[in-house]
Amino acid sequence: DFQKLFESEENYSDFQIICESKEKEEETRIFKCHKSILSARSDYFKSLFRSRMKEYQKGEMVLQETSGKILLNILLYFYTGKIEITLENAVEILLFSSKYLIEELTSLSSKFVMENC
Amino acid sequence: MSRKMILRVPKFQEPKRMEKSEAQRLWLLLKDAIVEVQHMNASTLSFEELYRSSYSLVIAKRGDILYTGLEEVNNHHTKNLLDKIAQAVDERFLIELNSQWQQYKLQQIMIHDILMYLDRMYVKEPQLKVFDLGMFKWKQNVLIHSQINDRLVRMLLGLIHMERNGEVIDGALMKSLIQMYVDVSLKEKETYKQEFEERFLLATSHFYKSESNLFITNNSCGAYLKKVEIRLIEEEARIKQYLDESTGPKLIKACEDELIANHMQTMIEMETGCRTMIQNDRFNELKLMYRLFQRVENGLVHLKNEFAGYVRNEGHKIVNQPENLKDPNALITSLIEIRNRFEKTLSQSFANNRDFINSVNTAFESFLNENDKLSESLALFIDKKLRGGFKDSNDQEIDVIMNKVILLFRFLSDKDVFKKFYEHYLAKRLLSGRSFSEDLERTMISKFKQECGNQFTSKMEGMFTDMRLSKDALDGFKNYLQTSVEMGKLPKIDMSVRVLTQGFWPTFPPHSCTLPPLLSQYCDLFTKYYCHAHTGRRIIWQTNIGTAEVTFRLPKKTHVLALSTYQMLIMLLFNDAEKLSLKQMAAGTSISFMDIQRSVKPLYSGKYKVLKRTPAVEKSKELSENDIFELNLNLKCKLHRIKFAATSQTDSEPERQHTRQRVDEDRKIEIDAAIVRIMKSRKALIHNDLIVECTKQLSSRFVPQTSMIKKRIENLIEREYLERFPDDRRRYRYLA
Repeated sequence: DFQKLFESEENYSDFQIICESKEKEEETRIFKCHKSILSARSDYFKSLFRSRMKEYQKGEMVLQETSGKILLNILLYFYTGKIEITLENAVEILLFSSKYLIEELTSLSSKFVMENC
Repeated sequence: MSRKMILRVPKFQEPKRMEKSEAQRLWLLLKDAIVEVQHMNASTLSFEELYRSSYSLVIAKRGDILYTGLEEVNNHHTKNLLDKIAQAVDERFLIELNSQWQQYKLQQIMIHDILMYLDRMYVKEPQLKVFDLGMFKWKQNVLIHSQINDRLVRMLLGLIHMERNGEVIDGALMKSLIQMYVDVSLKEKETYKQEFEERFLLATSHFYKSESNLFITNNSCGAYLKKVEIRLIEEEARIKQYLDESTGPKLIKACEDELIANHMQTMIEMETGCRTMIQNDRFNELKLMYRLFQRVENGLVHLKNEFAGYVRNEGHKIVNQPENLKDPNALITSLIEIRNRFEKTLSQSFANNRDFINSVNTAFESFLNENDKLSESLALFIDKKLRGGFKDSNDQEIDVIMNKVILLFRFLSDKDVFKKFYEHYLAKRLLSGRSFSEDLERTMISKFKQECGNQFTSKMEGMFTDMRLSKDALDGFKNYLQTSVEMGKLPKIDMSVRVLTQGFWPTFPPHSCTLPPLLSQYCDLFTKYYCHAHTGRRIIWQTNIGTAEVTFRLPKKTHVLALSTYQMLIMLLFNDAEKLSLKQMAAGTSISFMDIQRSVKPLYSGKYKVLKRTPAVEKSKELSENDIFELNLNLKCKLHRIKFAATSQTDSEPERQHTRQRVDEDRKIEIDAAIVRIMKSRKALIHNDLIVECTKQLSSRFVPQTSMIKKRIENLIEREYLERFPDDRRRYRYLA
């Protein structure tokens, strides 16, 4: 299934996301992904590929403002449709999803935050 | 509530108020990128960086800088493009415009992508969305600019004009340029409609107006119809190829108006038009005309009226043709023929359209009832068929003819007149044993029964029952004779009697005559036998419709003559006389003079002459009562049995009038019954309502005359079925 596809070593990935966290305690992580899945799940990625700019040409992109842990959650959500929103990650997920216009996730996480405030 | 404490909030960068300079920096970054995009150099830009920049500006409430900046950049860019495009000459113009447009559209998609966050989170009505803003700028600065718009539309229409004249044009280019008008329309395709569609439709109408006028004056209607069909197919294809689909119905309507609606009258009236096509059974052309006329409002009404008018006219001619008036058989045959012909036109050309069928039927109704002889003619037609006319047809053909008869019958308004005649001829067929097949008779009757119900055919069926019972009665009589005492004294003759129930059969005009004593005795014997077997019945002898066979002895040869009863009586007179005048014949037989005349005629003027006539006035053709007759002893005939017509074949005028009179009598009874039925249920009714109701009830059988109904009402008042209201003379009350 898609989770395995995402997690296995050799997964025919055609796009990687490099997560450079600004916080020193976290190291840089590289996620091997698939354009088809990303663009199907998010308008942001769809536009990113469609515009054929630098990221498309190089086959990779760099994200600076997101922690690797959160990005992993998000990517797993793209691949499987499932996400576990916890007190731990809720606010960051909300921030990420609203920035990148992932509507379903925005409403899920904002609901969670509202309920737990 | 403890959870509240645990909800982790990351070290949140306090959205510190963005410095103006920082906002300016981000905008310049984006502006440079947009300019790069507009120069098709996007591949080195970082999408994420640009996206993040626009995101940051919006978050920091600086979306306005971005939005107004974008508007300016677009404005500037499109103005530059305008100059570039406007410089292109001739065909280059369209190509340049198109390629710039295609690029511009791609750029706008890209700009929209980068500024997605701005587009979704910042732009609010009535501001235009980022992409729409780009379209609007193109429209404002390029498309509807005076240097472009007119030139473009003129060239597009010019190309379409060329294509309509048979030249090949670049469909893809057309599609792209025309679609541009749709793309830059902000709502409901308003730019497309205003700037292009309106002028296109106008040009179309103009083109087809002049083409159709020219074509129809120089070609036949059939050729014109084909041309129209091809043109409509071409325009349908044009819609698919490069027009916006919303134009489809309008374009087709414009074409239909010019090509069909405006020329309908011409197509009907022109020499090669609808009339000629109907006349010459040009089914395919009519079919095409039907299909095309169907597309325009009221088109089919025109066609239908023309067709119905033709049908009425043809029918009218047939019904009034002198030859047909004399020959009922020819009349009905031609009516059936045109009916078949029109049915073929209806099915082959007019898709059996119900309205068309109805109007043809109305036409039939009108001309069939123009002529009051039609009821009789139809009855005579069937009579001929049932006397043997069906001999050479198979069951299926017979069924077809019978159904046509029923069809014509259905159109008759005076069905009761027809019924009387039918009964009359049926009676004659049965009594003279001339009916070809009882099965066919019954099939025909069952068809009438289906059409009009039991009441219509009960008398006819009664006749058949009588025929069967008569046979039984006759067998009984013969047995009776053998055992009877009186029989021994009488010479044997072979007498056959038919007992007809009064009421089932038409009443034949009463005639009297003196039978020879022997026959008279036999008749008495039969009366005695029959009344004994069926007490309470009375027998009236109807000698005028009987037949007889007489042996005619000539010096060299003996013949058997098949005669009517009257003819027999006349011939028997010659047993005792050599020469007789008509007057003497009448005296000797007590037959009315008129019947004598009619009976004698076939005997001296037919193919085989058994009588010789010496006119009282020399060479006079008119029979007079002083004409002298004698037996023709030189008769030459190879046949042993010679058959004579009882009278001339068709009914004489008095007989016909008699039938009519009886119809009138019956109508009186029917009207009485209808009035009483209505009044019984309604109790009281105003005069006019009663007339209307009465006419309605009777219309399936005949159309009663108002004057007749009035008379019947008067009569019913006299007979105290009804009375007038004392205070309102126009109202009637039913008296139980």
